[in-house]
Amino acid sequence: MNMRRHLALTRAGIMESLQYRLGTAVTLFANLIYLVLVYFLWRAIYDSAGTEVVNGMTFTDTMIYLILATALFNFLEMFVVWDMSRSIQSGKIILDLLKPMNFRTYTFWSYSGSHVVLFTLTFVPTFIVVMIVTHGAIPMGINLLFFIIATVLALIVNFSMEMIVATICLFTESTWGINIVKETIVLLLSGASIPLAFFPELFRKIVEYLPFRAVYDIPLTILLKKNGTDTLEGLLPMFGLQLAWCVILTVAGILFWNHSVRKITVNGG
Amino acid sequence: MSDTTMTRPKAKRGFGFYARIYRKILVQDLKSKMSYRADFVISTFGMIMTNLSGFVTFLILFKNFPTINGWDYYHMLFLYGFSLVALTPVQCFFDNNWNLRFQVQSGDFIKYCFRPINVFFYFMSEVFDVKGLGQLAFGIGTLVYAWVHIGIPVTPLVIAKLVLFLLTASLFMIAIMNAAAATCFWIVGSGYVMVIMFRFKDFAKYPSSIFHGIFRILFTFVIPIAFVAYYPSLAILESNNVPVLTWCAPALGVLFFYLSYKFWMLGVSRYDFTGS
Amino acid sequence: MENAIVMKNVCKDFKILNRHEGLKGSIRDLFSRDYKTISAVKDVSLEIARGEIIGYLGPNGAGKSTTIKMMTGVLEPTSGDIMVNGLVPYKERTKNSEHIGVVFGQRSQLWWSLPLIESFRLLRDIYMVPKKDYEEMLELYRSLVDIEPILHKPVRQMSLGQRTLSDILAAFLHNPAIVFLDEPTIGLDVAMKAKIRSLIQGLNAEKNTTVILTTHDMGDVDALCKRIVIIDEGKKIYDNDIEHLKSYFGSYRTLRIRHADDTWEERVIDESKEDVMEVILKKQKEQKIKDIQLQEISTEEVIKKIYENSAASKEAAAGLHVAPAADGETASEKKEGATV
Repeated sequence: MNMRRHLALTRAGIMESLQYRLGTAVTLFANLIYLVLVYFLWRAIYDSAGTEVVNGMTFTDTMIYLILATALFNFLEMFVVWDMSRSIQSGKIILDLLKPMNFRTYTFWSYSGSHVVLFTLTFVPTFIVVMIVTHGAIPMGINLLFFIIATVLALIVNFSMEMIVATICLFTESTWGINIVKETIVLLLSGASIPLAFFPELFRKIVEYLPFRAVYDIPLTILLKKNGTDTLEGLLPMFGLQLAWCVILTVAGILFWNHSVRKITVNGG
Repeated sequence: MSDTTMTRPKAKRGFGFYARIYRKILVQDLKSKMSYRADFVISTFGMIMTNLSGFVTFLILFKNFPTINGWDYYHMLFLYGFSLVALTPVQCFFDNNWNLRFQVQSGDFIKYCFRPINVFFYFMSEVFDVKGLGQLAFGIGTLVYAWVHIGIPVTPLVIAKLVLFLLTASLFMIAIMNAAAATCFWIVGSGYVMVIMFRFKDFAKYPSSIFHGIFRILFTFVIPIAFVAYYPSLAILESNNVPVLTWCAPALGVLFFYLSYKFWMLGVSRYDFTGS
Repeated sequence: MENAIVMKNVCKDFKILNRHEGLKGSIRDLFSRDYKTISAVKDVSLEIARGEIIGYLGPNGAGKSTTIKMMTGVLEPTSGDIMVNGLVPYKERTKNSEHIGVVFGQRSQLWWSLPLIESFRLLRDIYMVPKKDYEEMLELYRSLVDIEPILHKPVRQMSLGQRTLSDILAAFLHNPAIVFLDEPTIGLDVAMKAKIRSLIQGLNAEKNTTVILTTHDMGDVDALCKRIVIIDEGKKIYDNDIEHLKSYFGSYRTLRIRHADDTWEERVIDESKEDVMEVILKKQKEQKIKDIQLQEISTEEVIKKIYENSAASKEAAAGLHVAPAADGETASEKKEGATV
């Protein structure tokens, strides 16, 4: 098992992220201010609504959901697409392809380090603060374990989507355009900017089967024990959906990548 | 000064000089952009998607909550359109801020320091982003639609006010992004500051009366997102009852822009160029 | 005003964070205030006359770039005085940059997507070059190199050689008094190097431009520079004619011996200590020798020796610790490949 080699990449990633010490502090601070903005907006929205519960979500539910979604977003954010386009333009991609490790595996494990750092530095503190402020509105129990599992699956789904979009960069220089389309779609359809519970009925039905939901909505729903995820019958379809998308996107990504690399090498791109 | 090169008479490099240079760079840049049509199409598509998604978010929100802090649908839509138009200049003319940290880190930034022109100008002039124009069209459409439904009279005075306050609003957004970008001169890995500041702009389209206490001051005078749409647009929406801060906005906008420029230039002078 | 550049006791210090090793160290660095001061340039004095081409040499990290950044006004010296064209560069950076041209490493300063001629026109406007001067300069360029093939090509589509050539031309366009060239021939093929060297020579001769050239390529130095300045660990360790430099090591020769199996053996011989003939005779007793060449020590070898000496005599204040050889031959009498 070459797990040690993989963990070495994780370690290097952790060290590199910590090099940016001031950057890390500023990131934390900026996040805090952002959350304050989110708080005021939804406070105003709920105050104007006049009712405590809208679409089955109380103000506290919505806040926890959005704050944790933001934290998850920061923790899951990857720059694979940008890195890829830069290494294509500089020609470094050739070196990446020649590395003794499979390119996909290599990229995944290189990012794992910064994931660990960001999870500890952004998600965990946010989680603790939310827990204290809401006086235990987050159920604490076995759901935490399920949440961790769901997050790992979300990470894989997110990575697979990133890789597929990054592969498109082999064909066009328009990285900005491709990236913004991806980001916009993911943010809207995953429920990171507005909880899916607020979506109109038909729209929500469609979105529930798309992979984007597996990234933010499912882990958070499980954590908050909503939609019957406190029972096994409610939980299994969620994990099933995540797993299914993991497999589909990974396979599709690998096929697309291999096909594209072959095509590019043949054309001498 | 015996050498001939030293005595060559020099005209002053004033506003006219910079305007002329910018125009020339712009024309050349547009010409070369025409040759990358695929990029243009994809980027425009991306821009339309972002705006559509922002709009959909807005619609979903209003489907669930009919008013926010006493603001109804069309007034909110007006604010939304106003903020989109006000964002155009920062996107079209100051987009190179996004490249700043890469150039600073790699040391490539040094090339801007060897010319006898303003470093800030030289740096910003390098990129004109056409994509911002798509957003402008979207913003104007939204603004006009809301305008008609609210029933604001169209007089030359109102139009003049609109232009003035749109420009004011832009200045605040430019100032925010300049300052955010300039942090990279001091802080390695500060890219996230820009990302989050740019995300703050999404909150500009809500009335800043939703903020309370110290945060109201923070979002008005420190990170002035309240000025990116809310205060300037009150000049049109509440023409009978314009708050003092709205009247101060143009002067404050110039001040914020000036301060952000100074901060940016301070970064340049403090920077060690050790990247090479 | 005779001198283009005058530096007096210039020092430059940088403050950097002491980084610790390992994962634990990285975490500790998050909170550490442990800075150390690094002297990049130590007490350097220098005078450069108008029209000179100076080779500014030194190992990597010796402080060459820092010196040039100070001369161009990008960095402010920690102490000491610099005058460039009669101006204090960091105080009047904009004014100073009117009269200098810079080619920095492999970083193009031209507009990436524009054809070269458009970059030229923009530079003409930026430097406010009169139309007549601009046309004359283009004529001069045409007489020195074949610029037609690259004139209408966008910089991003150029080869590295064409890009460097373009950058050099752009640096001379406003007829500056001084041009700084930082490793202009790095990564180029032999033909391109020759082309660029003759271009620099031609422009210097025609316009009497002072040229400060940093390079690791001794071919550049041999072709262009009369005078060289060597800096190591921030200190100036040599400043004199290139011929003078060779005479320091005048007693050194490179002996090349071809063995029976057609392999070449090379060694540097100090003639004041060893006799060349004796070395050859000794070799011949050991094995069969097919061919022998005796060469003048190359500039490259000389510079290498100076770097080595400098490293060996760190505790000594400054200067060379090699006794100047008697005036034997000068560098101009190159005996390359003179077969014995």
